[in-house]
Amino acid sequence: MSEPTFGSTKLPAEQQEALRKAKRLAWISIAYVISAVVAVLLVMGSSQAMRAAWLEDMLSLLPPLAFLIAARLIRRGPDAEHPYAWHRSIGIAHLSASLALLGMGVFVVGDSAMTLLSAEHPTIGTMNLFGHTFWQGWLMIVVLAYTGIPNIFIGRAKLRLAETLHDRVLHADGEMNKDDWATASGAMIGVIGLGLGFWWADSVIAIAIGASVIRDGIRNVRTAVAGLMDTRARTTDGKHIHPLVHEVNRSLRELTWVRDAGSRVRDLGHVFHVEAFVVPDGPIGIDQISAARDRLAALDWKIDDVSIVPVAELPEGLDAEVAHPR
Amino acid sequence: MRLFALLCLLLSLVLAACGTIPSDPKDTLDNVRSRGELVVGVSPTPPWTTAEGPDRVGGTEVELIRGFAERLGVRPRWVVGGEQSLVAELEDGALDVAIGGFTKDSPWAALAGATRPYATAPDKKGREQEHIMLVPMGENAFLSELERYLDEQTGKTTR
Repeated sequence: MSEPTFGSTKLPAEQQEALRKAKRLAWISIAYVISAVVAVLLVMGSSQAMRAAWLEDMLSLLPPLAFLIAARLIRRGPDAEHPYAWHRSIGIAHLSASLALLGMGVFVVGDSAMTLLSAEHPTIGTMNLFGHTFWQGWLMIVVLAYTGIPNIFIGRAKLRLAETLHDRVLHADGEMNKDDWATASGAMIGVIGLGLGFWWADSVIAIAIGASVIRDGIRNVRTAVAGLMDTRARTTDGKHIHPLVHEVNRSLRELTWVRDAGSRVRDLGHVFHVEAFVVPDGPIGIDQISAARDRLAALDWKIDDVSIVPVAELPEGLDAEVAHPR
Repeated sequence: MRLFALLCLLLSLVLAACGTIPSDPKDTLDNVRSRGELVVGVSPTPPWTTAEGPDRVGGTEVELIRGFAERLGVRPRWVVGGEQSLVAELEDGALDVAIGGFTKDSPWAALAGATRPYATAPDKKGREQEHIMLVPMGENAFLSELERYLDEQTGKTTR
């Protein structure tokens, strides 16, 4: 096998390892979710909360699939038709997955609200397994535990790898998995409530699950759109400005021939594309520009595609605080 | 958040110990016992159900329900009617159970609560049909009691 790359960017050993693990985890995740989906389908009966949890499980197939597809596509290097290579496929995968999430959340809330309003009492009787007759709700609870608990660990592992790979899809996926126990235990409460004769408990919980899916969806659509809009590069969780943004400027300003420097760093998915503007102190040559380029590329594996633009004055729109710290 | 999960677990254990799960939102099972009477809707569909008058009913399902009433220690009261009126009466709470050769795939099964299929038999066209009985929607304790009884009668339960 050829050495794994993101476009033309070669991956350091740590990232290669993380990518390998992330792919394996995505496959494990898919296999596990399919088994959970089948198990829930067999026992869900007419519980609205179970149905909501089931739909959420089905949907949680999308992010790992999107990740696997995107991980294949972004390996391709740039060509005349795709001068920025295929990095954006990860952003597109992220946006599609989050829109599906949002849509499904709206559906679950609407559907459960209708059930609640029509005051339809969920009918859940018994099951017969191996010659024993017992209330189906008990089996539902066991299955819900199976769909909820392993996800906590899968989710955590994904979050760690997402950090190393700077991968938003993996991050979103991990967050969803990690929060899945809330869905599962919510649905359990719904089933128990239903068993106690509170027929509405089930629908109410389903609405709450739907609402949390909507919240996830909105959060993810927001980060995905922000990525595609070329906002400032941020950390994987989207909470902070990525430290490399500052480092690029600092590193350029340390050069003796540079009077001022500012840059636009855009997050292409895994790797950054850097357009750096430098105001030289006097006349400069190609050597200085190439040296500056190499200097930036050496900062981090994510920085590979760098343009250095010598200018008389810094263009507008670069972060003032970042561009003029002195 | 962890605490929340733990509390849920604890709550479910406590509730499980109470033995009140499942229960009926409209207390059908309790009402049948206190009334001493099981109100049964019968739509004549031989060989499952036959009716020559309100008290002259027969058929395999009638016999099954007779046994169920006996097990609950109550008398059956038979209400003969068409399928549509029986389903409406189930919804109103006027009936406790409705029989009449209902199958799992019949449209009525979606409008009321249905038991698990307790028997399969070919219909007139030779297709295998799964037979069910209808109960009020969401009366899960009553439904479970009936299903338990049917399992015993059809030998699905090891005793």
